[in-house]
Amino acid sequence: MVLAGCEERLSTVHPAGPAADTIATLWWVMLAGAAAIFLLVMVLLVLAFRKGEGPSGDDADKRRETLWIKGLGLGFTMTVLAALTAWGLSIGERLLPRPGPDVVAVGAEGRQWAWRFSYPDLPGRTTENVLHIPARRPVDVRITSADVIHSFWVPRLAGKLDAIPGHVNVLRLEAWEPGEYAGVSAEFSGAGYRTHRFTVVAHDAAAWNAFLTGELP
Amino acid sequence: MTDMLRISIPLTVWIAAFSAVYGLQGIICSDLWRTAGLTTGQGRIALIVLGVAAVALQVAMQVLLRRPRFASPLPWVQRVATILAYVALVATLWSFLPVVSTSLCL
Amino acid sequence: MTDKPRMTALRLHKALYPIWRNDPGWKGVLTTVNNNTIGNMFIIGATGMFLAGGILAMLIRAQLASPRSAFMGPEIYNQIFTMHGTIMMFLFAIPFFEALTVFLLPGMLGTRDLAFPRLSSYGFWCYMIGSTIMIVALLAGVAPDGGWFMYPPLSSTAFSSGINADIWLLGISFIEISAIGAAIEVVVTVLRYRAVGMSLDKLPIFAWYMLVVAVMILTAFPPMILGSLILELERAFDMPFFQAEHGGDSLLWQHLFWLFGHPEVYIIFLPAAGVISMVLPVMARTTLLGYGWVVAAAISLAVLSFGLWVHHMFTTGIPHMGLAFFSAVSTLVAVPTGVQIFAWIGTLWKGRPEMHLPMLWILGFFVTFVMGGLTGVMVAMVPFDWQAHDSYFIVAHLHYVLIGGYVFPMIAGIYYWLPVLTGRKRFFRMGEVAFWLVMAGFHGTFLLLHWAGLLGMRRRIDVVEAGSGWELINLLASISGFVLAIGFGLVILDVAVNAFVAVRGRRNPWNAGTLEWATPIPGPAYNVASIPVVNSRYPLHDNPDLPVQIARGEGFLGEPVRNRRETLAVSVARGEPEFISVFPNNTIVPFVMAVVTSVMFMAPVFKWYSLMFIAAGGVTVLALVWAWANGSRRDEGLLDAGRGVFLPPHTEVAYPPGWWGSLFLLLADSVLFGSLLFGYAFLWTVAPNWPPPRILQTGIPGPVLALAGAALASGGIRLADRAIRAQGQPWPGLLASLAGLAALVAAAGTVFAGTTYNAHAYDATLWVIAGYVVFHAGIAGLMVLFLLGRIGAGYISSRRFGDARVVRLWIDYAVLAALIGLGGAWLPGVLS
Ligand code: HEM
Ligand SMILES: [Cu+2]
Repeated sequence: MVLAGCEERLSTVHPAGPAADTIATLWWVMLAGAAAIFLLVMVLLVLAFRKGEGPSGDDADKRRETLWIKGLGLGFTMTVLAALTAWGLSIGERLLPRPGPDVVAVGAEGRQWAWRFSYPDLPGRTTENVLHIPARRPVDVRITSADVIHSFWVPRLAGKLDAIPGHVNVLRLEAWEPGEYAGVSAEFSGAGYRTHRFTVVAHDAAAWNAFLTGELP
Repeated sequence: MTDMLRISIPLTVWIAAFSAVYGLQGIICSDLWRTAGLTTGQGRIALIVLGVAAVALQVAMQVLLRRPRFASPLPWVQRVATILAYVALVATLWSFLPVVSTSLCL
Repeated sequence: MTDKPRMTALRLHKALYPIWRNDPGWKGVLTTVNNNTIGNMFIIGATGMFLAGGILAMLIRAQLASPRSAFMGPEIYNQIFTMHGTIMMFLFAIPFFEALTVFLLPGMLGTRDLAFPRLSSYGFWCYMIGSTIMIVALLAGVAPDGGWFMYPPLSSTAFSSGINADIWLLGISFIEISAIGAAIEVVVTVLRYRAVGMSLDKLPIFAWYMLVVAVMILTAFPPMILGSLILELERAFDMPFFQAEHGGDSLLWQHLFWLFGHPEVYIIFLPAAGVISMVLPVMARTTLLGYGWVVAAAISLAVLSFGLWVHHMFTTGIPHMGLAFFSAVSTLVAVPTGVQIFAWIGTLWKGRPEMHLPMLWILGFFVTFVMGGLTGVMVAMVPFDWQAHDSYFIVAHLHYVLIGGYVFPMIAGIYYWLPVLTGRKRFFRMGEVAFWLVMAGFHGTFLLLHWAGLLGMRRRIDVVEAGSGWELINLLASISGFVLAIGFGLVILDVAVNAFVAVRGRRNPWNAGTLEWATPIPGPAYNVASIPVVNSRYPLHDNPDLPVQIARGEGFLGEPVRNRRETLAVSVARGEPEFISVFPNNTIVPFVMAVVTSVMFMAPVFKWYSLMFIAAGGVTVLALVWAWANGSRRDEGLLDAGRGVFLPPHTEVAYPPGWWGSLFLLLADSVLFGSLLFGYAFLWTVAPNWPPPRILQTGIPGPVLALAGAALASGGIRLADRAIRAQGQPWPGLLASLAGLAALVAAAGTVFAGTTYNAHAYDATLWVIAGYVVFHAGIAGLMVLFLLGRIGAGYISSRRFGDARVVRLWIDYAVLAALIGLGGAWLPGVLS
């Protein structure tokens, strides 16, 4: 596993949990595919400047239409895109917050410009700008907002999900290892937007139990 | 003007069906559906029925467009209209695939 | 007629020039309705806005160059990036292609002007005045600061109490008038004003693209205009459309905005694709491969682009199936894009491409836009977007498509259509130098910003913090950004120098086949001395003498015997001559109306509502003056159109140009209404705190009034129409119509009476629906009165009843809107 330094603490390509990891894989595969397609198009473009004109006439044009439009324009693009779409959707399905026996629920409420986290397992307990979760267990963050729209984003753990007044959105997180993970709000919210940050602390089983029994400050 | 309609109707029907399916999905996942005593499973069936109906409508337009009564007198318009009717059919199949392949209200 | 002596080209020019020319001097600037003049001014104005947006971009890049270079606080920075995005999208990108279209389209179609010359002028002045207001607001430090998509609640009064947001909402809506106006013009022009014989399959491909784009504008802008309207109502009167506690939902804004915002990017891309489809084949000395396929691709792209707006909302918590629909369509839309790309490359293979300056820019387009398209497909993948959304990956992506897919092709087009560029020696290859500076600068600026985004750099942050890991990328981006700016500056300088200094080149230097090359550019005010007859897509290739024949008056309307501005309207599909359209003379009315309209839109910014109503009255009066000026008090019968063909004037056809214009305006209007009903349904199903505490009781009087009013209004105008054609008395029918419209207003009144406008989003929505009904019944009523006046003044006869048809259309629309809208308002009361 890549250990992220200070400079990678918000990096989506240094995943520290399954959701971010899956998405990073998706990105690398798409990058490779895109590079290949880009090269193909560039080669076709350069080859167009070879000397000499092709055959002319209606028949030649018909053949060209078949090759360029039906073959490359429709056939090639549709094949690639159908495969990619199917893959993308199946990944999306895997990342959804499905109910499960060891899922832990926490609450996150954004406001200008702080986050308050709550713990249904520990009624009454809230923390400001620090979210405590157990490591190696799926966590459902129930996200909402007290004022304008914000977005809950811990890039090394998972994608982002918006905090919208009047709505509760659920994001599935999981950290592979105990540790601290940087989080930011990722929806523009006015003057204090840049510094609208928080930290996720993932605990090992013992520390999490300590947190639940109120022994952790 | 009729030629313009020939060109635009199949795709317009697609966008209408698309909006209808998206709207229905919204209703199924809303409180209205639950208060009406309906389940998500029934919701998926409703979506599938709507999707199949949309595909059937597109197929019907394929057939109609070839009838002398509805075909364009201009061969070029007829050709473009046919292409676009295929586009609408493919768009219908393509965009409704999630109905059977993704989670409904998660 | 054929044995009459033909006028020589010069004599014909001398006859046409006094009829079509602008007023002399400065007055001419304000009163001109000529597409060439307006197009020119429009291009210069939009270029000015590109410079303004570019200067803001430079401020952004200076701020972000390094952790220490930040010189603005967030309050200013937020205005700067908001205005950069707003200016580039609304004041540069859209106006610039409109300008190019106003300038080029009549020539390409072989006609004398756009369908509604006064509308060109009105739209242009709305744009110029609105842009000036935005720039003044920026300089005064009260510019919008909520980002170019202005999400509430951040843009609601509670969190943006200043006038900044009002300026955005009202200013942009005002400017959109020019977009809607231009769209109506383009649709009617492409459909009805063309060379004879130019059937749908022979349209220059750019005209097809612009037809598609214009229809898209008419269907995409209304949702945003509605959104702006109701957000402004919320800000001004506390009607809680977007406030969750009162049943509103900020997501409604996002839907309305992106319902516009996504089609918008294709509205911007398609004109560029149209330019490429015109320029690239000429550069390759061949014809476009798969013309029909390209038309089909453009149309598919247009419609599909209305089915993917939610991809801007992938992180808002919509259920995965909902997202999946839009993800699927987002990838599907790449197929017609791919078809076009490969059709263009195939065209290059088919021909013998030559490396002129326009071609260079098109190659720049290919390199850049293909990359932007590929990253676009990436963000169409829902999970990937969860990471990339609102990061610099998106900033990079959007500039790849906007600059690569729009700015580069537009520059190619400018160089292509500036024929004065060729035929002279250039001492210093400034154009080429500029090109390479732009290419290096652009990719240097934006390529690595993708990576910064993946490393977690959010868009819209005001400082690049030390230790973030993005410092180097941003430094490089800022340095390259200045190179890019210098490159763009050189392009503008080069074009300006060439436009003003260069010697005149010969006509048609590229040896293109389309009609805009049949006259020298800038062409004479009347564009074509006579309306040509064409038999293919490339008439100049079929008949190299065509320009001379046109100039000699051998086409239609080649002899200006009636001493007024006339052009030919043709049938939609086949381009057969149908009637003679008489165009208005120079007039100051559009300019004055634009000024008064700007007062109407800006007064509410300062809560000067009485001034707003006075200005609205002024706009109404001016609109009536405008409409009155059109028409004739005598029957003219069939007129000589040249070449042995006799046609009626537009006053004597059942569906005159004004009817067509109204039809497409109502198309836009109905989309606005549809968006309103969508909003109603959306709030009902998705918004928190529904159902509302109190539901409107239907009662008996409302529905009875609505039904009776509908029957009277629609029936009355039909009676009147029949009476006019039979030379009978139209009064009874028209009075019945008026009574019917009044009943519709009363029916809407019961909705106002039964609800409290600011109690709940439900009440607020019903008020807007009922208000919409009243507004349209009012317009239709005014039109009936106008028609009565016209009848009294002798403008209407059994041959001249087109005005009545226009009024009938508006009445029918008002009736339909009332039945659907009020029905929808009463439905919950009936059900419960
Ligand atoms: C002249 C070169 C340009 C440079 C160097 C540039 C640079 C930038 C940068 C750095 C941002 C991000 C600001 C932020 O998120 O804090 C931005 C945003 C944006 N740019 Fe540009 N830009 C340029 C040209 C354009 C053009 C030509 C267009 C459109 C046709 C455009 C449209 C936008 C839009 C829509 C945004 C988003 C604004 C927002 O977040 O509200 N830009 N630009
Ligand atoms: Cu989009």
